[in-house]
Amino acid sequence: MSTEIFRIRNFCIVAHIDHGKSTLADRMLELTHTVDQRAMRAQYLDRMDLERERGITIKAQAVRLLHEGYELNLIDTPGHVDFTYEVSRSLAACEGAILLVDAAQGLEAQTLANYHLARDAGLTIVPAINKIDLPAAEPEQRAEELARLLGADPAEILHVSAKTGEGVDDVLKAVIDRVPHPGGDLHAPLQALIFDSAFDTYRGVITYIRVKQGTLPSNAKIKMLATHVTSEAEETGVMAPEATPVDSLGPGEVGYLVTGLKDVHHAKVGDTITLAGKQGAAVPLPGYREPKPMVWSGLYPADGNDYSALREALDRLKLSDSALVYEPETSQALGFGFRVGFLGLLHMDIVRERLEREFDLQLISTAPNVEFHVFRGAEEIVVHNPAEMPPGGDYDRVEEPVIYATIITPATYLGAIFELCQARRGEMVDMEYLTPERVEVHYLLPLAEVVFDFFDQLKSKTRGFASLDYEPWGLQEAKLVRVDILLHGEPVDAFSSVVHRDKAYEYGKKMTERLKELIPRQLFDVAIQASIGSKVIARETVKAKRKDVLAKCYGGDITRKRKLLETQKKGKERMRRVGKVDVPQDAFIAALRVDEGAKKK
Amino acid sequence: MSAPGGIYVHIPFCLTRCGYCDFNAYAGLEGLRPRYLAALFREADLAAPAWVGTEFVSVFLGGGTPTTMEPADLRALLSHLRERFEMVPDTEVTIEANPDTVTEASLSRLLEAGFARLSIGAQSFDPAVLRSLERIHQPTSVRAAVAAARRAGFPNLSLDLIYGANGESLGSWRRTLDETLALGPEHVSAYALTIEPATALGRQVAAGQVPGPDPDLQADMFLLACEVLGDAGYAHYEISNWARPGFECVHNLGYWERRPYVGLGAGAHAYRDDVRWWNVRPPETYMEKVESGELPIGGSESLDPSDAYLEEVFLKLRILQGVPASWFDAGRYEPYLQSGLLVDDFGQLVPTERGMLLLNELVLGLTAG
Ligand SMILES: Nc1nc2c(ncn2[C@@H]2O[C@H](COP(=O)(O)OP(=O)(O)OP(=O)(O)O)[C@@H](O)[C@H]2O)c(=O)[nH]1
Ligand code: SF4
Ligand SMILES: [Mg+2]
Repeated sequence: MSTEIFRIRNFCIVAHIDHGKSTLADRMLELTHTVDQRAMRAQYLDRMDLERERGITIKAQAVRLLHEGYELNLIDTPGHVDFTYEVSRSLAACEGAILLVDAAQGLEAQTLANYHLARDAGLTIVPAINKIDLPAAEPEQRAEELARLLGADPAEILHVSAKTGEGVDDVLKAVIDRVPHPGGDLHAPLQALIFDSAFDTYRGVITYIRVKQGTLPSNAKIKMLATHVTSEAEETGVMAPEATPVDSLGPGEVGYLVTGLKDVHHAKVGDTITLAGKQGAAVPLPGYREPKPMVWSGLYPADGNDYSALREALDRLKLSDSALVYEPETSQALGFGFRVGFLGLLHMDIVRERLEREFDLQLISTAPNVEFHVFRGAEEIVVHNPAEMPPGGDYDRVEEPVIYATIITPATYLGAIFELCQARRGEMVDMEYLTPERVEVHYLLPLAEVVFDFFDQLKSKTRGFASLDYEPWGLQEAKLVRVDILLHGEPVDAFSSVVHRDKAYEYGKKMTERLKELIPRQLFDVAIQASIGSKVIARETVKAKRKDVLAKCYGGDITRKRKLLETQKKGKERMRRVGKVDVPQDAFIAALRVDEGAKKK
Repeated sequence: MSAPGGIYVHIPFCLTRCGYCDFNAYAGLEGLRPRYLAALFREADLAAPAWVGTEFVSVFLGGGTPTTMEPADLRALLSHLRERFEMVPDTEVTIEANPDTVTEASLSRLLEAGFARLSIGAQSFDPAVLRSLERIHQPTSVRAAVAAARRAGFPNLSLDLIYGANGESLGSWRRTLDETLALGPEHVSAYALTIEPATALGRQVAAGQVPGPDPDLQADMFLLACEVLGDAGYAHYEISNWARPGFECVHNLGYWERRPYVGLGAGAHAYRDDVRWWNVRPPETYMEKVESGELPIGGSESLDPSDAYLEEVFLKLRILQGVPASWFDAGRYEPYLQSGLLVDDFGQLVPTERGMLLLNELVLGLTAG
């Protein structure tokens, strides 16, 4: 028997990055005895190694809690701007959202962004100030600011410490009291929204679903309304917090379905599952807007033989990361690979690392770039790879993506922010004081100026106090040129880049200097040139190497000397031969982080 | 009959530990000397039966600093080795020494005991360079040690030099070479300072506290050594080794010519017929194993044909004998002939001085694929 509908609450936790969502979820898991005390660990729901290493949530996680006769379906969401799409998808499975604010930090850019998303999705907001245990906490003041944002009474704002557990009980109580139970007719034709999916080697495609109406029994014959594929489902269940089979999922419930499908393309996130045959629904639920990639990068197997393994891995990963898009491409320097679209640089890093770890691949990636729209007569060409940008004079105009940025900052740093945005070709839209000390500024900025190191610059210029959120705004004409890089006289397609005309020289100079550091000395002088068309704008030389020999070779330990040579040989083999020049694989990505901000966060 | 062999004996004791050194050497373990000596005797007993039938042409006491041991003990050790291993009458017997560990008296006793070749760790005649290497001796003690050795009657002296330490200029290196020549050694070894990561100096360089050697300057220093030593009549017979005719080091040539060798002592290596094995490194473990009647082997490797080939090419090029051109496709070596890194000497590919400096490149280029 599934739970009576009025005893179900579906809610997610949303907040700015690091404001304590996953830690609050931990306390809820404990309080409801969902996780055994012995099995408990910090940020329990951050299950991926990468999440634990980086201390951030990457994927939303659904879990069922049983509390005082209620079934509480909780979704913990990521806070980083790259994963806003995960938040939107989670919201569609919920009636309520806990909006957390760090008692020391106060309102930040993703607090606002996530609040707006939850409000627009029609969710009941349960606002809470977290980390009240911190010495620097100012809960009353933060509550007032939050109340002002929400147009609520400060008395409605809860105060919690996800660290000590103080107030967590009240949060659950508020969820039960304030969040409406889901609707949905038990006997209507089944409509279940796929809000996430994963691929398991043994069980095939697993979808995470929210039943909107009707009932999904175990072992049902199911149909996907968008792809029209049918399948014998193998199991329904809930995450509590590990996969736990149940007999059926009723309206309003959140759980998983082992679909019986083996082909990852058949179960798309955002699709609607119904029952096959006459009793099925005909109309799908409103799905999701496909997320739009913000940055593109070429991904190539370090070993050319791994091309099909890479394709397979991307297909698999796509199933648990629906924001991933890719298309095959070929590079003279790097061979066969893919042009891959990402939601941001963090997303790019994560995808790359997951491909390498989970699929045991060695990859070379090219520097990320945004897309460009090239107009020639009536023709519009969308360019994802700078090397494909037609040479100057061969088109009427180029447009680049522009974003609408929200920056929240202490008023004292406004000057620094104006300066930064100006240097990045930004255009201020408006500005609003949230409190006398805290300001919300909106800018239109070219995406290309924001996506790489803007955030680092913003943080360093405001001593970490400003936060940034952005959303796509549109396209805008810009004076862009393609800068090519030549090694020993040969252009290297993987190094081409599209930059603003006014910054081309500076870029060319930095790029050649950086490559000079990255390219090892060879047996001959290697010229590194940056050019626009046939005009060279910067040049460096890697002088021929003169010494590469083991000094000492006695004492009988020849083994070690041979091993050193073998290591050197392997290093050489890992390099890409571009024309006559050996280029280390790292150069393809590292070179483009030309601003010393070359950061690994 | 198998090829003539060499015996290497490792003495791991030093007065202090030099910052650049990654040898199996320890300061402050002097107390272990008697026990260590006994272990060497015992190991020789254990190892010798397997070497029956091999004729030995060299013994080399290296370290560490072998001269931290008493001459009487070293004498006993050498005669024990003569009893256990079959040696030719004119076996080359070398002992390494550091300047401040020898006197005319101790050297006379060593010579008398049969150590006829003395290799002195001079390193440099520039006090600043010696300091930067954390060597405790002064240039004067090198001169004193050489003079003492000559007075004691040593017919065969070698000086070890290191170039490219922090602060050393080409001019300073030239003075070191000149001072070396002034002492008239029969043999000179000159090594480019190499930064080993697992050393004090390696960590300082990694942390950016000390600049690493400039490879271009070291290249110039190498070429200068070739010039100065060559002009003075020393033959360049291995990348880092020069000798007056007839004074090439028989023992070290054994390693490079891939002849068999026994290794006795902590961490010592042995080799025969494409098998190499080595003793455990920590002196304490080494002694325990030997004392329990066990050969103190820490590891071994069997060279497969490709390992053996790589070693052959790399070592033959090092000793400037060269390798037969017929081993390679012409396409592999022709570019090096053209760029002047190799010369074709009646069918043997021999590195030029510029080629010696790029030997790793040559080896990898020739054997690639
Ligand atoms: N002192 C204190 N620290 C807290 C509290 N809640 C969370 N933290 C700490 O804040 C940091 C971030 O916590 P998380 O729970 O990972 O934050 P998050 O919102 O899930 O972060 P993302 O998923 O990356 O957006 C961790 O170091 C937590 O230990 C709290 O109530 N008090
Ligand atoms: S004297 Fe020689 S073996 Fe001893 S520590 Fe110094 S360099 Fe190393
Ligand atoms: Mg989290």
